[in-house]
Amino acid sequence: MASEDEVSLLVIVVDVNPIWWGQQAQREPEFNLSKCLDAVMVMANSHLVMTRTNKLAIIASHCQESHFLYPNKHWKAGDVAGDEVSSGSGDGKYELLSVANDLVAEEIRNLMARTQVKGHQTDTLLAGSLAKALCYIHRVSKELEAGQDMKSRILVVKAAEDCALQYMNFMNVIFAAQKQNILIDACVLDSDSGLLQQACDITGGLYLKIPQKTALAQYLLWVFLPDADQRSQLVLPPSVHVDYRAACFCHRNLIEIGYVCSVCLSIFCNFSPICTTCETAFKIPLPQMMKPKKKKLKTAN
Amino acid sequence: MKLRVQLQCKNLHEYLRELSPDILDRLYNHPATCLAVYRELPSLAKNYVMRMLFLDHPLPQAAVALWVKKDSQKDHDQCVSVLTGLRLWHNQQLQGGLQGIVLNPVFKDNLRIALLGGGKAWADEGSSLGPDRHARDVESLDRYAMERWEVILHFMVGSPSAAVSQDLAQLLIQAGLMKSEAGDAPCITSAGFQFLLLDTASQLWYITLQYLNTVQSRGMDLVEILSFLFQLSFSTLGRDYSVEGMSESLQTFLQHLREFGLVFQRKRKSRRYYPTRLAITLAAGVTANSSSSSSSSTAVSAMSGTGESGFIVVETNYRVYAYTDSELQIALVALFSEMLYRLSNVVVAQVTRESVQQAIANGITAQQIIHFLRTRAHPVMLKQTPVLPPTITDQIRLWELERDRLQFTEGVLYNQFLSQADFEVLRDRAQGLGVLVWQNAPHRVMVVTPHGHSEVKRFWKRQKSHT
Repeated sequence: MASEDEVSLLVIVVDVNPIWWGQQAQREPEFNLSKCLDAVMVMANSHLVMTRTNKLAIIASHCQESHFLYPNKHWKAGDVAGDEVSSGSGDGKYELLSVANDLVAEEIRNLMARTQVKGHQTDTLLAGSLAKALCYIHRVSKELEAGQDMKSRILVVKAAEDCALQYMNFMNVIFAAQKQNILIDACVLDSDSGLLQQACDITGGLYLKIPQKTALAQYLLWVFLPDADQRSQLVLPPSVHVDYRAACFCHRNLIEIGYVCSVCLSIFCNFSPICTTCETAFKIPLPQMMKPKKKKLKTAN
Repeated sequence: MKLRVQLQCKNLHEYLRELSPDILDRLYNHPATCLAVYRELPSLAKNYVMRMLFLDHPLPQAAVALWVKKDSQKDHDQCVSVLTGLRLWHNQQLQGGLQGIVLNPVFKDNLRIALLGGGKAWADEGSSLGPDRHARDVESLDRYAMERWEVILHFMVGSPSAAVSQDLAQLLIQAGLMKSEAGDAPCITSAGFQFLLLDTASQLWYITLQYLNTVQSRGMDLVEILSFLFQLSFSTLGRDYSVEGMSESLQTFLQHLREFGLVFQRKRKSRRYYPTRLAITLAAGVTANSSSSSSSSTAVSAMSGTGESGFIVVETNYRVYAYTDSELQIALVALFSEMLYRLSNVVVAQVTRESVQQAIANGITAQQIIHFLRTRAHPVMLKQTPVLPPTITDQIRLWELERDRLQFTEGVLYNQFLSQADFEVLRDRAQGLGVLVWQNAPHRVMVVTPHGHSEVKRFWKRQKSHT
């Protein structure tokens, strides 16, 4: 049983890519961004009520910025200034939750209102959001009181497609998370994401592509709510086959076989005499190496 | 044979299980109680509840059994018994004859409301009264709460300055923490000493439990009181709430809480009250008790809960430095140690064999002394693991064991055997049965346990008739 001094921090990263959600609203009007956020808030509330020491953060991953929906800068957990939250809960909801939910709703409204989509930037800044989540986790762990320890995990609710451009940043984030013992869970709404599969596999989290989008809340509660301790007891969806293909540094294509720089281990899809990352020049062309060997073989025979 | 009386402190779960099903069902009519009960469940059971919270149809029992892996079956069974015991889920016949499980509908609805809203407000908000001209900030509330609580503790140790109401004194006597001879002022019992050494959250919960036991004899409705108590523990610190719409008995209860320091009310007739940190950590005290095995862990939460910081430093040379000027705390430290110096902001004491033995004779256990030191440990001490030097904790335990050198076992004595051979036959038989407690071959004496006596006697009779 989780003891009281163990803080459990859950950071939820929600993909709010306006382009994807705009298309989604046309494809399936019954599941739009607000429905998705409702489900996320159900999950967040359930996490918060589990024990008194559970903590929460929600980050919206937009195509222009990563924005903290909760907690925000002006609102610190623990001391609610009496005047600012005059609304309170009028409908029987636990006060702490209603304050948090109102805040999330307001922040997402602000974020969406100031969105201006420009043509060239349409990818979700997921790697940036994850990095922000890691920084936040680090900060919270610094602020712990003596004798407390913290378990943290990140849940990514992913909508839009992967962006191969972020491959490097993404891998760095994953390894940082692995080092800090932070689980990364992924709940994928649309198309499978190779990057997140790797993230979950490396950090020991769960990856699930949900078959039914409208049942998002139930999937979240069912699969992602239990923390690491309880997961060892429960029967959960089996891990998927992980696509471990790397993206090449030259064209950001996912490749299975490629060229690797012997100095800096950069990956390329085709041969170049000078490594673009560490600028090492590869002097000896391959065919010349082969000739003397063949001769030697012949003489030996 | 333990002669000491241990202070029994139930946790919320144990308390609820003793309530009648009828009361339990009524309790779940309030979102706050549902939330409090939910928090007290084992973590696996919490997940079960969450999984079923938004399902309208009963689930087949077999499907629920498949939720856990095979090697966690024991935890699963435990969760099932807890959930059934608290009447949180019922069995229901499915179409086609299968056994199904469905969450208690009242509990389900109210937990949903607590989680997502959509119900009635818990209580009238203070905002309906407009802003308070005498608004309190969090620090002053903390100070107030601690002052009130210390008055009660002072009263218990008999400080002349402390005075409490008749009701509260009565409660302390009923709880067995104090006793009063006719006409005399009440004085503290050995249970009272043990009580003093608990951390604040546990003390509070203990008193609350005792209070709840007397609620019905006071003509109050237990469900109403409990709902209010839980509602209070989920309120926000530093906010004011209105007493509007509270029944007569709740008003009385509020006055009692005010005396405990759980709520702040400027005047008795004031229309608003502020819950203090004590009230909000009340539920935390509940869990602190339930995990008595991990006492080190509860220490931190208890301290952070009450908003006071630790002040005791224990060194490996048995010296205890207590950075406090509170008479009460000094008196508590003096319960099990010998005072050396007293300065304006610190007292120095020495833990000795005699002082610990004295404390143990008063009914305090070594565990309680250690727990006291640990929960009040200075922040500097908290940084090291273990918090207390192991030499000290081990020694205190050893000193306690010194008093427990005798062990009593009931038995039946066999003696006056006519021959060594007879003795040996019977002794070997008793040994074979595993009922032999003690034997002395030269004196031909042996002792067997009472439940083995009949078997050994029968054997002996048969043996005699053979020869």
